[in-house]
Amino acid sequence: MEMFFYGFMQRAIQASVLISLVAPILGLFLILRRQSLLADTLSHVSLTGVALGMMLNVNPTWTNLLVVILISLLLEWIRNVYHSYSEISIAVLMSGGMAFALFIMGMNDSMTADLNTFLFGSIVTISPLQVKFLYVLTIGIVLCYIIFKRPMYVLTFDEETAHTTGLPVRLMSILFNIITGITIAIIMPIVGSLLVSAILILPAAIAMRLSKSFNGVILFAMGIALIGMLGGLYISYDLGTPSGATIVLLLLSVFAIVLIGEKINQFLIEHNRAND
Amino acid sequence: MHYIQVNDLSFHYGEEAVLDDISFCIDPGEFVMLTGENGAAKTTLLRNVLGLLTPTTGHVTISDKNYKGKKISIGYVPQQVAAFNAGFPTTVLELVQSGRYPKGRWFKRLDERDHEHVQRALKSVGMWESRHKKIGELSGGQKQRISLARVFATDPDLFILDEPTTGMDEESRQKFYTLLKHNTEVHHKAVLMVTHESYELRPYADKHIHLVRKEDSPWRCFSMDLCNAPSKRQS
Repeated sequence: MEMFFYGFMQRAIQASVLISLVAPILGLFLILRRQSLLADTLSHVSLTGVALGMMLNVNPTWTNLLVVILISLLLEWIRNVYHSYSEISIAVLMSGGMAFALFIMGMNDSMTADLNTFLFGSIVTISPLQVKFLYVLTIGIVLCYIIFKRPMYVLTFDEETAHTTGLPVRLMSILFNIITGITIAIIMPIVGSLLVSAILILPAAIAMRLSKSFNGVILFAMGIALIGMLGGLYISYDLGTPSGATIVLLLLSVFAIVLIGEKINQFLIEHNRAND
Repeated sequence: MHYIQVNDLSFHYGEEAVLDDISFCIDPGEFVMLTGENGAAKTTLLRNVLGLLTPTTGHVTISDKNYKGKKISIGYVPQQVAAFNAGFPTTVLELVQSGRYPKGRWFKRLDERDHEHVQRALKSVGMWESRHKKIGELSGGQKQRISLARVFATDPDLFILDEPTTGMDEESRQKFYTLLKHNTEVHHKAVLMVTHESYELRPYADKHIHLVRKEDSPWRCFSMDLCNAPSKRQS
């Protein structure tokens, strides 16, 4: 119980709850738009933003936000150029982002240690300012979801039909990428560049196996994200393991349990049917 | 007034001409069928009409208003086998309800009238009992039917349908044609429908656009052979 009395743990718990609300919303749309790797790309590109900030002696969060927004626009452009092979944009920008970050780091060796913080992240070192950023981000994304859920549903189901209903498909896609980029830029120092996409994608991916309806998936995903984030935080505190990695491992365990449970359920149904 | 007006449209994929010299118009209350051999660029023509592709030359105009002077609404059913997003986590009811969103329901709650439209649309394609099923659990024919239900729920002024009866049995097809004809005759809707069942649809269609290969083109390029079908159903 003593963990709840530490200021850093109180901030970590708040951050966990806030990320659990945001991650499933973005994660589900990323999966359904077949952009699961977008989060990975933007998190790699984020490292360039961080490295740039360190090189210029500016708060890395701001340079990171700027770089991620620019790359989000570029992503949508490349996605349209290679319409049928849109994953090319992911490959190009992921390696490009990493290469830029390594190049800038190579020019200044003292950056390496700081950059490790962004690579692996730590929810327990989250600052009060980062918590404030997260509150603003969560309120913004939840409000956007409530207001734009229907247009996003139609856009995500089929872009061509969305176009014929008069929705501004291109603009919505760009804004979605920018919002994803901003989220990653804010979450990355907390969970780490290497694990941010897992935290966005896994809760929604698990919930898709558990609910038939769209709203049901979002709610299940939020519940799963809460279990993963808070459970992972508790375990990492207890065992002294890295928080980001523990959270992802816990989510992967839930993923495995759900898949195995599904198979057992299927087997039992077929077994009962055969007996009847 | 024309709902759709296509003037001297041609479309090229790079150098290759695919469509040439296409001109037609569709008015409220008209049922138009679009036919042609496999690969005759029928879907390409629809996509040009919808603004999903840009004509190389010529232009397409879709009226902003319906015949009552209100904002026109378009219901599009793409070729289903390729287009249906079967893994999407949604129920049949949720998907068909989304057909009501373009009717001024993007940001408003669905009211009693919307629910009636959805119910009627689902019943018209025989999918009301399956409304709580996940769409991924449906057969190909059922997916086709809920796509049509979604369009019927929208209650559009202009139906643009790309081979919507693929996988339907003959009785279902006849019911579907009758329903569309009722919509054109009674409610002044317009229909542009790609079909391979031209012999079945001819009695219902007011206009027939047939795409034929241009013999003088070095490419596999198609132009139109417009022939007027009987305006009344010959039953």
